[in-house]
This record gives sequence, structure tokens and C-alpha cells, in this order.
Amino acid sequence: MEIELVEIRDFVSQHHPFDELSIDLLNELTGMLEARYLRRGDVFPPRDNKASYLYMVRSGAIELHDDRNQFMGRLGEGDLYTRQCQLTGSDYSSRHTALEDSLLYQLSCENLKALCARDQEFCHYFEANPGERMRLAATYAAANTDIDVSGMTIEIGELVKRAPIILDVGVSIRQTAQAMTEENVSSIMLARDGELAGILTDRDLRRRCVAAGVDFDRPVTDIMTSNLLTMRSDDLVLNALMTMTRSHINHIPVVDDGHVVGMLTASDLTRNSSANPAYMNTEIRRAASVDELKMILQRLPELQLLLANSGISARHIGETISSITDVLTTRLIELAQADLGPEPVPFVWVCGGSQARHEQSSHSDQDNAMIISDQASEQHMPYFAELAKRVCDGLDACGFIYCPGDAMAMNEQWRQTQSVWRGYFREWIEQPEPMALMLSCIFFDLRPVHGDFSLHKELQNMILELTEKNSVFIAHMVSNALKHRPPIGFFRTFVLIHDGEHDNTFDLKHRGIVPITDIARVLALAEGVGRVNTSERLKAIAGTRSMSPEMSENLLDALEFIASLRLRHQADQIRNGVDSDNFLPPDILSSLERKHLKDAFEVIKDAQEALGGRYKLS
Amino acid sequence: MLDLLRSADKRRQRALRQASHPVMQSYLSNPFPSEKVDWKSAPIISLDFETTGLNPRNHQLLSYGCIEISSGAIVFGSARQERIRSDAVIPESSAVIHGITDDAARAGRPIKEVLPELLARLSGKLLLVHYKPIELGFLDAVCRSLYGSPFLIPTIDTLELAQRVLKLRDYGVGPNQLRLFNLRDKYGLPRYSAHDSLYDAITTAELFLVLAAEISPKEELRLGQLLSR
Repeated sequence: MEIELVEIRDFVSQHHPFDELSIDLLNELTGMLEARYLRRGDVFPPRDNKASYLYMVRSGAIELHDDRNQFMGRLGEGDLYTRQCQLTGSDYSSRHTALEDSLLYQLSCENLKALCARDQEFCHYFEANPGERMRLAATYAAANTDIDVSGMTIEIGELVKRAPIILDVGVSIRQTAQAMTEENVSSIMLARDGELAGILTDRDLRRRCVAAGVDFDRPVTDIMTSNLLTMRSDDLVLNALMTMTRSHINHIPVVDDGHVVGMLTASDLTRNSSANPAYMNTEIRRAASVDELKMILQRLPELQLLLANSGISARHIGETISSITDVLTTRLIELAQADLGPEPVPFVWVCGGSQARHEQSSHSDQDNAMIISDQASEQHMPYFAELAKRVCDGLDACGFIYCPGDAMAMNEQWRQTQSVWRGYFREWIEQPEPMALMLSCIFFDLRPVHGDFSLHKELQNMILELTEKNSVFIAHMVSNALKHRPPIGFFRTFVLIHDGEHDNTFDLKHRGIVPITDIARVLALAEGVGRVNTSERLKAIAGTRSMSPEMSENLLDALEFIASLRLRHQADQIRNGVDSDNFLPPDILSSLERKHLKDAFEVIKDAQEALGGRYKLS
Repeated sequence: MLDLLRSADKRRQRALRQASHPVMQSYLSNPFPSEKVDWKSAPIISLDFETTGLNPRNHQLLSYGCIEISSGAIVFGSARQERIRSDAVIPESSAVIHGITDDAARAGRPIKEVLPELLARLSGKLLLVHYKPIELGFLDAVCRSLYGSPFLIPTIDTLELAQRVLKLRDYGVGPNQLRLFNLRDKYGLPRYSAHDSLYDAITTAELFLVLAAEISPKEELRLGQLLSR
């Protein structure tokens, strides 16, 4: 009798990458497993194991230390130890021990190899280094957006205003095209005995008729689409958007209980849906008061949610939100100036931090400053003070709360003339002090939003000239950049930090995104790269003496993965009516996501180590 | 101690000379594992029976499940389970425990076919059971009735080992504490939802790994120190 160890198999198959194996391979795998037991304090892997194995903790816990006895992490139930079977990396000199009495499953590397030969996807997990796995993870994150939109109440019916244009299927292609021209529509519906039988679009005419050389007098049934996908008028806009995206179609007939209501087109969705950032930007430009802006911007969290749900990358969402903040800032300046009059001397409104880097999310705080032309005199300053106050107040009212560190143009210190700004940067760069640098970090990511952009450009050129050659400054920035360390990994429901300490949540921002933006910033300054967006910085420094192309790519993927988790986390919070934050409880992560995150941490750690090694503060 | 060891295999040789049935001869032809070696270098097989009751003379076997331990590791690929045909009426009290109904019992294979295979698996190995009177009692009874010979095998009993470990620690040992599932929970071992002969054999094997480590955490542990007398 063939034995299926269902309960052993089911335990293993809960954990990535085993969840990818077919049931047949899982059964085979289970037959290859062996169980070992270690008492608390015993050396791991078991000393008397002669061959190399993959280990999975069935119960208990293993604590990992590297050969210098540095704490490396902890393995709990279901966690894998793959080092012995991986092509890259080896730590046979490790000093791992059982933290608790532990039952382990082991699979010889030889058997693992045999399984790998039969399942490519599964194989990837073991062959790839953390960087390559990150790449796979980024693809995964893009594909794994959920489409639960409870609370999204925009219905298709609200968008379909025009009465349906319906012809009888008996007409010819030419007659159909004529009707479409007369009605000025890009698509038309065809009915047989009053029931919808097909649709024809401009594209069908082009592809199935003209290009295919079909006689125009043939019946339209020859080229119409009859295998129809329809929706109801009370279906949600977002569902329609997803359906169109998934099925690569631009037209969906709307039919309620056999009654044709109209045709929904892709442009209906993008023109009118609140999921269209361009639409929100238009509304912002038209708004006549801060109160109106406030109303419009109330939809921003919802927009972020919609974007996140429609599978748009975290990077593009960051760009979108930042562009909306830019438009909002400009509109606030215009509204203030409608009241205060035009500026007496040239100035430029610059944003800092995540807005400057095009990495904003809907709940970011505001970071900004004002650079005023050196033509300004004392008497001009009250004008700019009032302007700055109105804009910052307006941003706050619209949900971009005041910067807790006071890095805002409403603070006199950051509303200064060109020469004062030059002085600031000269001091920061030439006499670097750790504390001051930490505070001024925001201002090394500056981007002009409104006004005379040349004022910013001049300042930026000076900054890059000063930083590029200044290794002491760079070293100080590096030591700042290394202050935010990624976690070591996860253990049960905790996030491990260092020395066995743990947090209850993963701080997506300070332990995930900030370490990467910090690395990108300092290396951009070291290489004289003027860009502020982290992805662009990483791409620009790839292949310079500061960073290998491979590491740059790894960091890009790690950033995208963590940022997409952050978006999803915040989307969940928005959907549940909770204020969004950056603190992710590890118990909501799948085993796959935990493993990808661990890879991301490793990528960041490698980059930080490389950075720390290059620029040692004496 | 050395005398005891020698006598175990001597008894096997004597039994081999006396055995008349070829299945029994074949089973006894492989030497018992030496009791002087570390337990990790001996082949061990964990075995569990499901029966219609506790008395080998009146009750019948319903199934066996077994799994081997080699080099200190439970080898899942060696897991086997067989249903054994029984015409006995299965009392409700035991059916609710192992879930084998009358119909299922009729569908099993006859003991005449199953026993030679089981003996071939046990041959040359060390038997691991939890509470040996059941498994040894039933094996002895079926061997006597089918082959006219008593059954012999060196045995480790996890119940006895647990008793030793717990006494060592000076705990008072109540009989309930020594039941397989209570020991499993005490040592934090996996709880399988199936209560059949195979998963019980696996739990017994897991419990054995725990107890062996408890008895001798660091140094070698010779088979002789584990065997049930």
C-alpha cells in the first residue's frame, strides 16, 4: 500500500517554496524527509549529520550566529535553513544552536536537487541569491494585488449617460460603419430579436475588415464580436477597470436583466473615475479656495487605495501622489498670490524629503523651503513670510500635516535668500556635524515646485561641486545613513532587530525604505548626481565606483517590494477606516512575503556593509 | 551486562534452530543489532498495532503502522501501514478510537499475507514500541498460531524510558502521565489529527528521539542502556 503522510506533507506545504510544488512532488518530497531532534543548547545543524541538508523547523526554535558569534537571526516553526544546499554563500563555520528543544525536518541536498530538476519555479528559490530572489518577488508583488474594493461605491451606471446605439444584426458592415460615423461613436451594439447579439468597434473595422480585405457589403455578423462580456449598471467602476485591463478590451456593454443600458468605454472610466489622478489634478487647478481643495484632497487616500488595487507599482504611485502635492502646492501659491499680489522679487518654492524624491504617500507630512533671490531686501521678507504661512497651512488643511521637525518654509530658518542658503550648505558640507547633518538630511533632497527654478539650480550646482570631492562630508553622511538598520528577520510573530532584541511590528519606513533612500542619497552626492528620486539615483550610480550594477538593481527591487508592502498595508488600513501608518504587524505576512522581506533585508545589509567599508570615519 | 547481550542473540540462534516454518527461519536468520553500539548506528523500527482489544488471545489485529529510525533520524520514506482483515465484531469502544469499522476491517488483507512482510521489515532490527505488552503479545500470539514458534526481538519501550526519565527527575509518576499522547504534549511534539497505527508509530519514534536525548544529552548512548529487559 502506497503511504501518503498527509499530515507531514500538509505541514511542509504550508511554507514557501514548498507551496509551489504539485501534490505529486509534495508526496515524493515527504517520502524524502527525515526528522531529527535537538535539545536546547545543542549545536545546529546536528553534528553527526554527515551529508548536507535543507532543514525545516517543525517545532522549537534555532538561534543563528555567524562565525564571529554575531546574532544573525532565529528560526521558528516552518522556517527553513537552506545554506548547506545553496550554491552561493556558505557558513559551515557558523555557531548555531537550538534555542528550545526542537524537532527538525531534513531533506538531503541531493534529494532537493532531484526535486529542483523537476520544478523550475521551485528551483529558483534555492539557486538564486537574495538579489535574484528579490527580482522574482517584485514581479510577484505586482501580480499579487488584491481587488477587494468594499466601500468603493462608484457604479458603472453613473458613467454611462448616453442612450445605447443598437442596430439589427441584418445590416452590412458598410451600413454599420455609416451608423457609427453618423452617431460619432467608436463602438456600436447589434441586436437580434431585441437581444444583444454582438458589438463592433473601430478597432474591429480596422483589423477584421479593412486590414483583412473583407467586402464591406458582407453582413456585419462576419466581423462583430459575439462572445460578449457584459456588466450590470450597478457593478463597480473598479471592477470594470480590472475587467478591461485583464481581458484587454476597451468596451463593455452594460446590460440589466436583458435590457441594454449602454456601452461603457475605457475612456469613460479614465475621464470620470476618481481613480484618475489627472482628473484630480484638473480639479485642484480649478479650485477657488482652500476649503474646496480640502474637499478634493479628502479623496487622496481613496485614490491611493484604487491605484494600489489596480496593480500599479509602488514607484509610480509615489510619483502620482507627489505630482498631486506639487499641483496642490502651486495652486495654494496661486490662491495666496491672488490675495497678496505677485512676488516682489523672484523666489522658488522647493520641496524636500519624500515629495522631492517623488516617493510620497497620501499620509506624508510636508517638507518644504523657500529660496529667495538675493535681490530681496528686509522689507520684502514679510510678503514671503505670509505666503509661506498660507501655503503650509493649506497643505496641512489638505492632509499633509506640518513637519514635526519644522522643516517648512513657514519657519524663518528655511525661508532665506540664495546667499544664506549657500552659507547653510557650505557649513553642512565643510564642517559636518552628525546632529546638524541628520536634521539637514531633508535638504539634500530638494526639488523646485513653483517659481524661478534657476534659483534652485544654482544652489544645487554649488552643493554637488562641494560634496563630490569632500570625503569627510561623505563619510559623515555615510555614518548617518547607517543609523537605520534593517531588521535581521522574523521569528514567530516578532521582528528581530539585533542582539536578539525584537519589535512587535516592522517599521516599513525607518527599517525598510529610509535605509535605501539614505544609501542612494549619499552615493548620489558622492558621485555628483543631481537627481533626487531614489530609483533614479540608484540607476545613475549603478556601475560607478560607488556601486555595482548588480547591487543597484537589488536595491531597486528591495525598495519596490517594501514600498508595495507599505502601500498594501496602508490600503488595508484605509479600507478599514483606520489612520494609515508605517507599522506592519508580521503576523499578517504570508510565509512567502516573510522570505522575500528577509531577502530584502539581506540586500540592504550588504549594501550598508559595502558602504561602511568604503567610507570609514577615522 | 555483556552476558545479557550475548544471550539475546544466543536465544535468537537457538530459536532459529528450533523454527520449522520458513517465514520464521528467514526472520530469525538476521542477527540482532549489537547492544554495544551507539543507538544511532542501529536500525530501529517503530511499530504500532490497532486491535479489537487488549488480550492477544481473544482479540485480533486490525492494522499495523511502522516507521524506521536510522542514524538518529526518522525516515519518513520508510513509513508503512497495512489494514489486516478481521471477521471479529469490532466493539464500538475501540472503533471510536481508531475509526476502523467492521466494513473497513473486512476490506483488509489476511494476516497470512501481511505477517511475512511485517516480519521481513522487523528482521535484524530493534523494535520500538510504546508499552510493549501489546505489540509483543500480539506478535507472539500470531507467530505461534501461524508458524508454531514464539516471537523474539530486542525491544525499546518508550513508556519504560519515560518512566526512567521522569523518575530521574524525581517527579512522581502517575500512570496517566505515561500515556503516549500525554508524553507527546509534555514534550511539545506535533499533534497529528489522525489516531491510527501509522501516526502513533511516528509519535512513538519522535518521543524516542526526545527521551534518548534526555537520558544522554551529550555522550554516546549504547543500545544496551535503552533496551527493555
